[in-house]
Amino acid sequence: MNNDSNVKLRLNNSELWGGLIGLALGLFVIWSGLKLKLGTINDPGSGYVLFYTGILMCLFAASIILAAVTEGGPSFASRWENARWGKPVVVILCLTAFAFALEPLGFLLSAIPLMLLLLRLIDPVRWPVAIPIAILAPAGMWWVLKHLLGIQLPHGIFEIG
Amino acid sequence: MDTLANVAHGLGVALLPINLLYCFIGVFIGTLVGVLPGIGPISAMSLLLPVTLSGTPESGIIMMAGIYYGSMYGGSTTSILVNIPGEAASVVTCIDGHQMAKQGRAGPALGISAFGSFIAGTFSLIALMLVAPSLAGIAIAFGPAEYFSLMVLGLVVLTFLTQGSMAKALLMACIGVVLGLVGLDSITAQPRLTFGRIELIDGIGLVPVVMGLFGVAEVLLNTEQAIKRDIINAKITQLLPNKEDWKASAGPVARGTILGFFLGILPGGGAVVASFASYALEKRLSKHPERFGHGAIEGVAGPESANNSAAGGAFIPLMTLGIPPNVVMALLLGAFVIHGLQPGPLMISQNPTLFWGIVASMYIGNLMLLVLNLPMIGMWVQLLRLPYNVLFPLIILFTIIGVYCSSNNVFDVYVMIAFGVIGYFMRKLGYEPAPLVLAFVLGPMLENNLRKSLILSQGDLMTFVQRPISAVCLAFAAVLLIGPLLPSLRKKRELVALDEGA
Repeated sequence: MNNDSNVKLRLNNSELWGGLIGLALGLFVIWSGLKLKLGTINDPGSGYVLFYTGILMCLFAASIILAAVTEGGPSFASRWENARWGKPVVVILCLTAFAFALEPLGFLLSAIPLMLLLLRLIDPVRWPVAIPIAILAPAGMWWVLKHLLGIQLPHGIFEIG
Repeated sequence: MDTLANVAHGLGVALLPINLLYCFIGVFIGTLVGVLPGIGPISAMSLLLPVTLSGTPESGIIMMAGIYYGSMYGGSTTSILVNIPGEAASVVTCIDGHQMAKQGRAGPALGISAFGSFIAGTFSLIALMLVAPSLAGIAIAFGPAEYFSLMVLGLVVLTFLTQGSMAKALLMACIGVVLGLVGLDSITAQPRLTFGRIELIDGIGLVPVVMGLFGVAEVLLNTEQAIKRDIINAKITQLLPNKEDWKASAGPVARGTILGFFLGILPGGGAVVASFASYALEKRLSKHPERFGHGAIEGVAGPESANNSAAGGAFIPLMTLGIPPNVVMALLLGAFVIHGLQPGPLMISQNPTLFWGIVASMYIGNLMLLVLNLPMIGMWVQLLRLPYNVLFPLIILFTIIGVYCSSNNVFDVYVMIAFGVIGYFMRKLGYEPAPLVLAFVLGPMLENNLRKSLILSQGDLMTFVQRPISAVCLAFAAVLLIGPLLPSLRKKRELVALDEGA
């Protein structure tokens, strides 16, 4: 029983997972360096620095993993303790949706809903305030960029903006 | 005489109406981001980096520099009145500054902070003028081995001073180097880590990386907490410190100024380290250390002078060696590069208008800041009431537009969003982004200098230890790397380790 709970605790160790991601990245960088050719010490190739940086990454990641295994570390849940974790998740989802909508819909049609969502979802701003800000801020920016600075923001398939 | 002539030449540049305007915009925005908790100079500079494209290099860099030293002034206002540091270098000012405000002495606290900052800022500029040209003369003799070792030292010092595990900071620095190497190899023109994307051939842009890691990630982190503000509502009167205040503050201002300047020059150091070091020094030197934490004016005067002095000192390695000592200077280097300029030993002689123009503008900027931060303090206090639920969406909108304008490329917006999300999780898991960004900027230079030294020495690694400057830098870096393994040194590191990115 005790052993089970120890294993569970170790797997839920955020330090361990951070180290494992670092190790995976390090191995990938080593592989990329090898693929690019190392060259020789007299004439280092394109992959030379990448290869050795990858080795360093693996060493540092291994030391993080070792510390996580021997000393333990905070669980993922404790990292988000007393935090309103739903708020950043909402912002990330809004930004992802915006990223997908930006090219097809154009700046104005994607930025206005993004602003409205952010204004209402982070810490709700009253509708009578949120709507004008959500429309005027992107539209104002678009106008300044297009007419004063001559910068064209994406106008999408509907060619709005 | 030469220096005076150069200063006069610089003043001629800085006093051009357009440069005065950019300088004012820079110090105004700097004070603004200093006052507003949650947005630091790094976020503001990364937001405005694309704007520098529209003017001359002088104007753009004058504005960027203004944001940096302006934020040092503005940060103290929030620390004193709200007990929330406006930016990382003002964390210690909260301790005694807010206590003074609670005791009805907000005016003298704000006053000594502004005057101390002005004195320190002026001193660091004079020192910058005197030191930079001589150091540039010496730096001409630097070869690739020296540059490589100096950059390694800079990265190691920054990782040493970064909060939390040193292994994590070093891992971040390595990831930064790798990200900096994405794109065409400058020697063989072979594409590296581009995954077949044409957008990555020129490498990953500095603007989307920094805006993502500092702008978007900062907003994501701030949305997690409902920011509570305990604003001192009493009217702020008598901003001028009295005779006793001046007497108590003269020593801390002088010591903070000198200490801050030298800590600013050191690679990896900066305003944050300087302010903490000054506070510790004043507490140690005080006959009544028990007063610290209960409204001691020395606890405000010293750190505020130190952080401003360090902001000036940090320009020296960038201007003379072309090596940014911290993330803010890395962004400034980005602004230089955007304009096709390379700071370094030859910049002062080849581009005196730019160097002396920037230095002279900093004098003017310091005067502007004194006016902005004393007679106009009421305006900044009002600004502290701006609701964050409106501010954060606007910051996100500005970052999107800023990134797009820097390259006219939607791909960079995707990169920024991706780095924003990565930056958020990095911070949550205790990985600081500052070493990554500095290494990202230094990565290509580091690789170039390493490969050049190896080619020149025909693969002899001893070249790095046979050259004295290189050997000293590497020895110092090795001490800092091995040091934390010793328990006593590890404890000391934990005391000085700071959140540079805040």
